[in-house]
Amino acid sequence: MPLWLREHSWRQTLTAVYLSLPLRGARATPANIFCSEQYLKVSIPPFLFEAVLYAPIDDTNSTAKIGNGNIFFTLYKKEPAMWDSLTLANADKEKLQYLRENAVLKAQEKAKEETEAKKITKQEHKKYALEATMKLEEAERKRIEDLKEKERQKVAKELELWKNQQKDGDKCKSIQAKEELHQEIEPLKERKNEKRNKTRIPNEGGSKTRPKSTRGCSCSIFSQDLKEEQLPAPRAAATIKVNFTPRVFPTALRESRVAEEEEWLHKQAEARRIINSDLSELEDLKEEEKNPEWLKDKGNKMFAMGDYLGAVNAYNLAVRLNNKLPLLYLNRAACHLKLRNLHKAIEDSSKALELLTPPVPDNENARVKAHVRRGTAFCQLELYTEGLQDYEAALKIDPKNKIIEKDAEKIRHLIQGTMPSS
Amino acid sequence: LGPERPERPQVVSHVQQALSYTVFDCKWVPRSARLLCLGSAARGTGVVQLYELHGARLELLREIEKPKPIKCGTFGATSLQQRYLATGDFDGNLNIWNLEAPEIPVYSVKGHKEIINSIDGVGGLGIGEGAPEIVTGSRDGTVKVWDPRQNDTPVANMEPVQGESKRDCWTVAFGNAYNQEERVVCAGYDNGDIKLFDLRTMSLRWETNIKNGVCSVEFDRKDINMNKLVATSLEGKFHVFDMRTQHPTKGFAFVSEKAQKSTIWQVRHLPQNRDIFMTSGGSGSLHLWKYEYPAQRSKKDLEGSKMGVAGSLSLLQNVTLSTQPISSLDWSPDKMGLCVCGAYDQTVRVLIVTKLNKI
Repeated sequence: MPLWLREHSWRQTLTAVYLSLPLRGARATPANIFCSEQYLKVSIPPFLFEAVLYAPIDDTNSTAKIGNGNIFFTLYKKEPAMWDSLTLANADKEKLQYLRENAVLKAQEKAKEETEAKKITKQEHKKYALEATMKLEEAERKRIEDLKEKERQKVAKELELWKNQQKDGDKCKSIQAKEELHQEIEPLKERKNEKRNKTRIPNEGGSKTRPKSTRGCSCSIFSQDLKEEQLPAPRAAATIKVNFTPRVFPTALRESRVAEEEEWLHKQAEARRIINSDLSELEDLKEEEKNPEWLKDKGNKMFAMGDYLGAVNAYNLAVRLNNKLPLLYLNRAACHLKLRNLHKAIEDSSKALELLTPPVPDNENARVKAHVRRGTAFCQLELYTEGLQDYEAALKIDPKNKIIEKDAEKIRHLIQGTMPSS
Repeated sequence: LGPERPERPQVVSHVQQALSYTVFDCKWVPRSARLLCLGSAARGTGVVQLYELHGARLELLREIEKPKPIKCGTFGATSLQQRYLATGDFDGNLNIWNLEAPEIPVYSVKGHKEIINSIDGVGGLGIGEGAPEIVTGSRDGTVKVWDPRQNDTPVANMEPVQGESKRDCWTVAFGNAYNQEERVVCAGYDNGDIKLFDLRTMSLRWETNIKNGVCSVEFDRKDINMNKLVATSLEGKFHVFDMRTQHPTKGFAFVSEKAQKSTIWQVRHLPQNRDIFMTSGGSGSLHLWKYEYPAQRSKKDLEGSKMGVAGSLSLLQNVTLSTQPISSLDWSPDKMGLCVCGAYDQTVRVLIVTKLNKI
C-alpha cells in the first residue's frame, strides 16, 4: 500500500495554481512526476500523491521545481477562473479511474508526437548539412576546372603566337635566301668551273666563296658539297657478335612456367647423377662403357646402322646403370618397334612417358615421339583405338605435324572400316 | 602536394584527333608546328600522315600510302634543310623519304629479315657532330647501323653469334656522340638484355639483364658525353642508369622505379631539360618524372675502382588519357612542353605540359 502524501498546501491566482508538496525525506527526480491536463501524480515509492485537478491546466507550460525536500508546482490554468478547490471533490472511483487512464494515454500520445517531431527536425538538419557540403565540393571542383581552363587557354594562345612567329621567321628566311641565291649563283658558277679547271686550290679558297645561304633554309648544291667535306667518311663496315643471356628455356620471364620447368630441370639433374653402382658384373667393363650417355650414343649409332639388337643391348646396359633417363627407354622402344617386339615397345614408351613428367616445352619432342611409338605398336597389335588415343595425344602436343595427322586419319578410317564387320 | 596545386606541371590535352588506322609512331617535324603519324591501315598498307597544328585542331596536310605498314620513323639523321624522314617497316625495309616527293625513297635497303621494331638517327638536325647515321633494331635479333651515303650494306652490324638462338630487339638508341669519332648504340631485347655497343672500337662495351623485356631505351642527350640512360620494361618497371662512371664488374649504377602496373611503352626526355622525362604506359597513362643527382656522382669501392652513384626520382605529374596503351610519344624540340602521343585507340593527342620552365 502506498503512503499517501496529503500534507500539501496550495494557493491560486486567476491564471495559475501554486502547489507545494513536502516530500518527507524522499528524493524526487523529474521521472517521478507525471502530469497531464487534468491529472497530477507524484510517485516516489513508497510515497504517492495524486490529484485530479478541478479544471484543466496547460501541462506543457506548467513547471515543477524540486528542491529543499519539497516540490513546488506552478500550474497554469487553461481557463482563467478561480477554483473552488485543488481537486475535484465529488469524484467517484470510476471517474477517477477513467481520468487517470485518459491522462496516461494522453501523455503517451504527447510523448509519441514529440519524438516524431524530433525525428523530423533531425532529418531536415541532416539534409541541410548534406546540401551544404555538396555545394562546397561543387564550388571546389569548379574552381579547379576553371584553373585548368585558364591554363589551357593561356597555353593555346602561346602556341598560336609561337606558331605565327615560326611561320613569319620561315617566310623571311626563305625570301632572303632566294634573293641571295639569285645574286650569288652566277658568279659562283663561274668560280666553280675555274676551280675544276685548275688543280685543287687549297680549301681556303673554297671557304671564301662559300655562299651565305648556308644559314638560310633553302639549299644549294654548293653548300652541300662543302658540307660533305666537313663530314667524316662513312664508317668502315664491321660486325659485332653478341651473345644473349643464357636461359635453359628460351622464353622470357613472363612466358615461362617457372615452377614446372624448375622441377623438370631438377629431375634431369638428379637422373644424371644416379649411378646404380651395385652391379658386380660391371667390374670387367671399360670405364667408358659404364657411362650411360656414352652407351646411349653407341646405341643410337647402332640403330642408325640397322643393328637393332646391338642397340637394344647398349640401351639395356645403360638402363642397368641409370634407370631414370627417359631417352634410353624412348630409343629402346624404337628398336623394339623395328624388331617387332611390340609389347616391349609399348612398355618402354610408357616408361619413357612416366619419366617425362612434368610436361614442359623442353621435353615436348620426346613426348611426341613416345606417343607416336606407342601408338604405332598398338596399331601393329591391331589395338587401333588405343593407338588412336596415343596419336591424338601426340597431335595435341604438336598440332602442326602433318605426318601424325595423316597417320591419325588412317587409323580412324581403319577403325571405321573394321567396326561394321566386327 | 596534390596534383591540382598550381605549382606542379599540368598536362593539358590540347587536341585530339581520331585516326582511321593504327598509329605506331608519331613525330614532330623539326622547326615547325607539323607532326607526322606513321602506322598501318586496316588493309595492311603503310600510312604516313602529315598534320599541322591550327589553333585547337589538327589539319591534315598530306597523306601518303606505302605498300608495307610502317612501324617507326625518325628525323634524327637528316639536315634541317632537308628534313627527310627515315622509316622502318614491317617487312624489314629501311627507307628515307623526301616528304615533298614521297613516291620514290631517297634511300632504300632491305635491312632486316623481319619487322624493324625501332629506329634512331644521329648526326642531323644541327645537333652533335660526325656523320649522320641511322640505327635499326629488328625482330630478327640484329641491330644495324646505316650511313645514308653508303648503299646496301650497313656500317655496323650487331648480330647473334652463329648458332645462338635469337632474341627480338625491341628498341635502339644512339648516344655519346659528342665528337666526330665517338658513338654508342644501346639496344634492348625482349628477354631483358640491354647491350651497349661502342661504334668507335666496334665492340660490346657493356651489357646487363633487367629480367623483363626492354620496351624502350633512351639517352638523356645523344650529343653529349653519355650521362643517363633510361630503360623501360614490361610489368611497369623502368631503370635509370648513371652512365658517367663504369665499374669494371658492376657496370653502371642505376635506380629503378615501379610506376604503372602495366608495360611502360616509351620514355622520352624533354629536349630542353635532360633531367625531366615522360613515360607512357599500357594503361593509357603518362607519368612525368624528374631525376635528381646525388651529392656525389661517383665513389670508390673497396678495391679503389670508381663506381657510380645513382640519384633519385620524383614523380611530377601523372595523367590517364586513354584506356589503350600509349605506344608513341614525342616532345617538340622547338616549343617546351608541347608533345604528341599516339595510342592504340587510334587517336593521336597533342598535349601541353605547363610550368616546365619553373622546375
